[in-house]
Amino acid sequence: MNRNNGLNDVTRRAFLTRAAAAGAAMSSPAAFAQVAPKPPIAVAEPAGTVSNSAIMAEKFSAMQAHSDRPLTASVTAEYHHFAATPNDRMFVRNNLLTPDLDASKHRLTVKGLVDRDVSFSIDELRKNFPQVRTQAMLECAGSGRTGFVPRPSGTPWPTTGGMGCPVWNGVRLRDVLNAAGVKPNAAHVAGQGGDFGVIATVAPVIRSIPLAKAMEQHTLVVLGMNDGPLPKVHGYPLRLMVPGWAGSASTKWLHTLTVLDVPFKGTYMDTSYRIPRNAVKPGEKMPPDAAVTEAWPVKSMITHPAPNAVFKVGKPVLVEGRAWVGEGAIDRVDVSFDEGATWQRAAINSGGDKYAWRVFSIEHWPKRSGYATVLARATDERGHTQPIVATWNPLGYFWNGMHRVGFVVEA
Amino acid sequence: MRRLVAVAAGLFVMAAVAPAQEAEPSRTLMPGKGVEITTARCVICHDAQHITRTKLSRGEWEFNIKNMIERGAPIAPAEIAPILEYLATYYNRDSAPPAADASASASAEAGGDAVTRLLTTNACTACHQPDKRIVGPSFKEVAVKYAGDVAAPGALAKKIREGGAGAWGAVPMPPNAGLSDADLSQVVGWILQQK
Repeated sequence: MNRNNGLNDVTRRAFLTRAAAAGAAMSSPAAFAQVAPKPPIAVAEPAGTVSNSAIMAEKFSAMQAHSDRPLTASVTAEYHHFAATPNDRMFVRNNLLTPDLDASKHRLTVKGLVDRDVSFSIDELRKNFPQVRTQAMLECAGSGRTGFVPRPSGTPWPTTGGMGCPVWNGVRLRDVLNAAGVKPNAAHVAGQGGDFGVIATVAPVIRSIPLAKAMEQHTLVVLGMNDGPLPKVHGYPLRLMVPGWAGSASTKWLHTLTVLDVPFKGTYMDTSYRIPRNAVKPGEKMPPDAAVTEAWPVKSMITHPAPNAVFKVGKPVLVEGRAWVGEGAIDRVDVSFDEGATWQRAAINSGGDKYAWRVFSIEHWPKRSGYATVLARATDERGHTQPIVATWNPLGYFWNGMHRVGFVVEA
Repeated sequence: MRRLVAVAAGLFVMAAVAPAQEAEPSRTLMPGKGVEITTARCVICHDAQHITRTKLSRGEWEFNIKNMIERGAPIAPAEIAPILEYLATYYNRDSAPPAADASASASAEAGGDAVTRLLTTNACTACHQPDKRIVGPSFKEVAVKYAGDVAAPGALAKKIREGGAGAWGAVPMPPNAGLSDADLSQVVGWILQQK
């Protein structure tokens, strides 16, 4: 496996060196201190679960909680100015409670349309299979939902919250499935995790993915994150990582894989995580033939400058961001400093793992003082370009409207 | 300071894009006809902000209720209509909630008094009913359990404030740290009289 995640801070370092030489004004640190973090309130801490306060204690101070029960939280674009998303900035999105699992007792069972049911301990997964490492995007299907007008129901993710691109450590899902032997009529693989609700009637969160995606070499059974242990809130001791696809496919606290001949039938497949094939009028119901959310469409965000950062006329502003697409590759990123009237091509760091975001950057030399804005627009290799506003859909999924940041230029 | 930031943010966000910083949605549901059943059935698995944060169309609320029942919400068929009516009246994107609602105060009067409002707004009634066991024991069962116990007020107050380990079943009692001493003693006194 590729040990070099292909993303480093070369672009930024080179810029910093040049900027320092030119005496450039970097963004004001004050711009980063303006967001008052909203802590989650204390809620029930049932036995066998991890408390919200314990989870948030491990998170970056600017992480915003969007709901307390279940816990959801994220940081916005300017806090993603890293090659890979650190654990403390990775978004939190649980459907149920966060279980506190014992890795020494945890097992992964593979059943269904297989030649033999198999079960592995965490140690066996480490010893029996090749260990791989890949950087890949994980993004909640509802990421960016607050961009939609009118606002659909669901977690109010900021337009740039609800995603991250950490390094994942684990084994290939296909190696685990092949150890069980997948039968010829197998078509879908469902993951189930050890999370549970506050009352017994709560349905388990079960999602399934097509076999082709399950057998793709970057789809992992994850044992670690960013070359360290997998944090409890992110699925310790075991999770799926289905790169580039709606995050709900990446089952956390994974204990059972079931191989099926059809997609899993359940509320999290048939009612939630669906998107109309053709646009519907805002406020209308989900059409019966709606598609299951799979790969994310092309998207980008500006990670620098931070909103309201202050620069000087005649000194360079480094505009930098991240661009990604659920399947395929980023072809280019264009940037506009005049609200989209004219566009300039940004430089892209094209190296990196298949499903990792790409770093783009461009130097901007402001010519006059005042308020300024920057817009970014990514295009993938198939020619799909980010829209100004994403197509409205009843559950508010796949927001990929262009990101826009305002900053201040002083004389 | 936060307001200034929000205003500044609003200036440069595209017209179609909501600002990242928003006023925090209410943690309790608006009083009105049907608020008790809605709180009791909905604010078990998720907090009230899941409702208060976004106004929806009647059709979307209908879809949400169906979705939540599929996910395991303990809503009986006969309870769907009053819950939908409440949500579509008080959290409707297309029409404002009725002002100074007469039925709301009537409902609060009929339900008793300040204690009823405390039980509703603190989501106690999500898990406890006067004489029927739902998620947790009925208030009557609690009163019977503590009958004749001189230490009952202190023990019950502690349980409400700090939460419990699920003495009556698998679901533990969440802590209610935000309840004032006066409100707490009022609630404790009322519960212990329910036998």
